[in-house]
Amino acid sequence: MSDTTTKLPATPRDRSTRKRRGKYGRDRANWPITIVLVLASLTVLVPLYVTVSMALKTTQQAVSGSAFSLPSPLTFSSFAEAWALTDFPRAFVISALVTVVTVAGTILLASLASYAIVRNWDRKLFRWSFFYLLATMFLPFPVVALPQIKLTGIVGLDNPMGVALLHIMFQLSFSILLYTAFLRSIPAELEESAKLDGASTWQTFWKLIFPLLAPMSATVGIFAFLISWNDFMMPSLITSDPAMQTLPVLQSMFQTQFSNNYNVAFASYLMAMAPAIIVYLFTQRWVMSGVTQGAIK
Amino acid sequence: MTTSHPTVSSSLSRRRFLAGISAAGAMAALSGCGGSAGSARAEVRFYETKPEAIPYFTGLAKDFTSSQEHIRVIHDSSSNLSASFVRSNPPDLGCLNYNLEMARFMERGALSDLSDMPAAARIRPDVQQLVNQYATYPGRTSVLPYSMAASSVIYNKQIFADHNLQVPATWREMIEVCEKLTAAGVTPIYSTFRDPWTVAQGLFDYTVGGMVDVEAFYNRMHELGTEVGPHSEVSFQKTFLEPVTRMMTLAGYSNEDAPARGYGDGNTAMAQSKAAMYMQGPWAFGEIAKAETDVDLGTFPLPMTDDPADRKVRVNIDLSLWIPEMSTVKSEARKFLSFLMQPKTQNAYNKEFLAFGTTKDAPPVTDPRIAQMQDYYDDGRFYMGASQFIPRTIPAENYIQAIANGASIEGTLRRLDQDWARLAFRQ
Repeated sequence: MSDTTTKLPATPRDRSTRKRRGKYGRDRANWPITIVLVLASLTVLVPLYVTVSMALKTTQQAVSGSAFSLPSPLTFSSFAEAWALTDFPRAFVISALVTVVTVAGTILLASLASYAIVRNWDRKLFRWSFFYLLATMFLPFPVVALPQIKLTGIVGLDNPMGVALLHIMFQLSFSILLYTAFLRSIPAELEESAKLDGASTWQTFWKLIFPLLAPMSATVGIFAFLISWNDFMMPSLITSDPAMQTLPVLQSMFQTQFSNNYNVAFASYLMAMAPAIIVYLFTQRWVMSGVTQGAIK
Repeated sequence: MTTSHPTVSSSLSRRRFLAGISAAGAMAALSGCGGSAGSARAEVRFYETKPEAIPYFTGLAKDFTSSQEHIRVIHDSSSNLSASFVRSNPPDLGCLNYNLEMARFMERGALSDLSDMPAAARIRPDVQQLVNQYATYPGRTSVLPYSMAASSVIYNKQIFADHNLQVPATWREMIEVCEKLTAAGVTPIYSTFRDPWTVAQGLFDYTVGGMVDVEAFYNRMHELGTEVGPHSEVSFQKTFLEPVTRMMTLAGYSNEDAPARGYGDGNTAMAQSKAAMYMQGPWAFGEIAKAETDVDLGTFPLPMTDDPADRKVRVNIDLSLWIPEMSTVKSEARKFLSFLMQPKTQNAYNKEFLAFGTTKDAPPVTDPRIAQMQDYYDDGRFYMGASQFIPRTIPAENYIQAIANGASIEGTLRRLDQDWARLAFRQ
């Protein structure tokens, strides 16, 4: 009751504030920002349009020199050709396996390691192992490619399993950096109360810390997914059996120095992009919340 | 902190966890050892990555496998060659472009000797000799050329006929042709300076190859090594100055947007008859044909002197066959090599992919687009591209692109000399 009474006299003021707010409010558009946003979305939409329309063109149209023209006649034969040339189902399963193992392994190992490091920060060994792990961020894969090829060959890991292991290894340092920053913001008192209730360290981690880490795990998982799914160099160098090759490597055959196969290549890229887009559609809520997680401690 | 004092139970489970991890690692390690057990056939891994020829060779591999009882050929078109050598499991038979990079493997003795094979005796000596221009390994014939790509100026026959032009036989005639075309409002040469390799393998190789004895030049350059410089007997800045100056004269007849055009644009433009000449190899024909226009193309060697007898075509080893020393199924790989070298198999490939045969008994090419180069090829009037002999450590293609886009000829060639001497010093 009191609500309505207080609101009534406020109406004229409300109207005036809306008028004043109008400059930046809902009523009038903020043109400079809109233009920037339109340009930004065009940088995504234009290439996407070219990709889709190229994939639906015939070879003859694809080389006509006009990328923006609409495909006519519409053809899906490029998809069929790309499907056959890359042996799509097999390559897709292998790519997916590598990615799943990478994502799961990265989340598991990085969270465990970060927990151990953060809770034992006062010990030299843990502190230095953190710096050691961070230091590996300065080592790009090409630098250690040759020894890695030799090593994986010797121990029989020159297959997708080895690629997944290496992906986990190379993702570890960045993921630990994200996790540790987040873990420091979790109060130790929470754990103390769990301890008082009789939980072991192992239980504390699984029942308390790991669920609390979920938003950060989403971020780490998304980064691991993108890097693993899109990687060309590591599978290309590490996998020795051509039948076990991942999608990005097989797709490289569509574009060489001497020949281009735009329509087939783009059809194949679209098929390979699909999982990343689908994953993003379902997880974008966590992507956006997750990306800012590490920003402020 | 309480958590920094591990309880008994937590340390136990941590140990159990670590044990689990190591067990998983062991499983992963073992998983690599399974695979080909249970098959009586020896597997020959056949490495061939030329994209347009993949279906063709996959078919051959299948045919051969079904004709054999103890051999299965697996077509590999996606592995990384260098990595496989590092890992000590290279493919059992390689079939790919032969160049300076590939020659490194041969130079270090990684490829086995094939000189006792009957197929080796059928190869034209002057073609086999081309392999040795890159590198040699004493006492071995490790690489058998399978097909040769001959390249020269691609020209639009219709445009030439429309303007009553003859194929030029001398440098002066070449310039006249360009002048007449310009006067008639036709772009004489379509250039694609955005892709560095197209400048290097086109304009640069044609102009240099037409004036300089490429093989002798690089032999001398290797002997000189660190002494290469402004006062050495041969050098880029001295020997190549005239051809490269002429190259820039020709580049002046290019389309105006050449710096912004790439290989794909060039093929599209030629398919649409937008220019009269195009400095590309036979690989471009396949790309031009994709546009399905009825353009009528031919080829002629770029005349660089005023003597018609000096004209030569540029060649490169499109495909070559080799078997690594490390292969465990050499005799089976040799059988497949012999199968590939059968005249009917080899000639069929060359016919389909516009290449020239490497054997003494190879039939002449029939495709009108490349037939004009047959005489030059038969007479051995050919050279390998000058840009192909510069190690990749030196960004020669980019230097050449810079020249095409207006950098100083003298300065850039001088830098090439300095790079060459520096590399020789390091090695």
